[in-house]
Amino acid sequence: MSHSFAIDIVEEDVQLTLGQLCRATRAPEGQVHTWVVEGVLVPEGATPAEWRFHGAALRRARLAATLTRELEINTPGVALALDLIEEIESLKATLRRLR
Amino acid sequence: MKFKDYYETLGVARDASPDDVKRAYRKLARQYHPDVSKATDAEARFKEISEAGEVLRDPEKRAAYDALGTRRDQERAAGRAAGEDFQPPPGWDAGYEFSGRGDAADDGFGAQDHSDFFEALFGRAARAQGARHASARMPGQDHHAKVLVDLEDAFRGAQRSISLRMPALDEQGHGVLKERTLDVNIPKGIREGQHLRLVGQGGPGVGDGAPAGDLFLEIAFNPHRLYRVDGRDLYLDLPLAPWEAALGASVSAPTPEGEVELTIPPGSAAGRKLRLKGRGIPSNSAASPAGDLYVVLAIALPPADTAAAKQAYQTFAKACDFNPRAALQGGTP
Repeated sequence: MSHSFAIDIVEEDVQLTLGQLCRATRAPEGQVHTWVVEGVLVPEGATPAEWRFHGAALRRARLAATLTRELEINTPGVALALDLIEEIESLKATLRRLR
Repeated sequence: MKFKDYYETLGVARDASPDDVKRAYRKLARQYHPDVSKATDAEARFKEISEAGEVLRDPEKRAAYDALGTRRDQERAAGRAAGEDFQPPPGWDAGYEFSGRGDAADDGFGAQDHSDFFEALFGRAARAQGARHASARMPGQDHHAKVLVDLEDAFRGAQRSISLRMPALDEQGHGVLKERTLDVNIPKGIREGQHLRLVGQGGPGVGDGAPAGDLFLEIAFNPHRLYRVDGRDLYLDLPLAPWEAALGASVSAPTPEGEVELTIPPGSAAGRKLRLKGRGIPSNSAASPAGDLYVVLAIALPPADTAAAKQAYQTFAKACDFNPRAALQGGTP
């Protein structure tokens, strides 16, 4: 099967609008709003219409969405879990380096 | 298709109260969530738990599922059920709230995360049957999948065939998961954990002219025999003979782009790192330079398994006035 379609590396080439981030994470806009207000996600731009999320926010937002939806964790809990998950990942990376 | 016992998955009785269901679900979900669990089958278990929770925590879906279960029990008792095979009877969901309600914001994660069973009952494809009558235009859903590539692919770029299961409608209008193969160009310089976005390769739009969603592929590397990967940097353990480490040497070492000749400085201790700048995963944008390759020195001892080797070790011991434990002295009170 041959296809032709554009491929972007999200973390390098892509800035996501609020709508795109909502679609990619299946989170309602209000939810993403709350994450921004609570500092879980830090977009550029002053108003929601101007918000641009760095590609690296996709992974964080997806994690936040699954933790919210599947574990029913509230926003401060999500923020804490994300920070801890990232810390564990960096510790694991250090372990791999030293192995 | 196998009938799924969602009550068994959550370990609750059929008449469990909503609170009991919620509690059981939360406990299991925390235990097996792939982002926090270390269990090897966490991801598979979590999918089952999450699917069971999605149905049993929603009163409408639970009622419909229960009705289906009761009907199945009756058919089994009457000897009419055909073994393990299960198909939802036509119109089984009529009158329930979720029937044909279209996309929901609190939908499960990727449709590909659901079982055939769930997809046939509650999935997007099943719901699209109802949505076809509506005039609403809705862009397709974004889909997510993980793809395993080799470290070498990040050096040279590669084409990979990726199989995905996507929800679709069969000729009878049943929701099914269809296998779909995509040829994807893995760009040079890709790193573990990054995502590729394939524009328009997600779920089809609903309604005339509605755009398809995008497909996001998360990249993971197959473990490599030689190199450990940290972002763009690579780590290689390079064993040396004791005399190579002590006296210095020129040795050849593998890199993903071919062997290189390395100068080992005299007096190199185990654990010393030699950095080969720019020999890690190549750059793919001006903002992020190529990674480095770190060669971590290790010292391998030749076995003392011949008379000559033993003799050499003894001579070595006599020649060096060396106490490797000098730093431990004074440790006993």
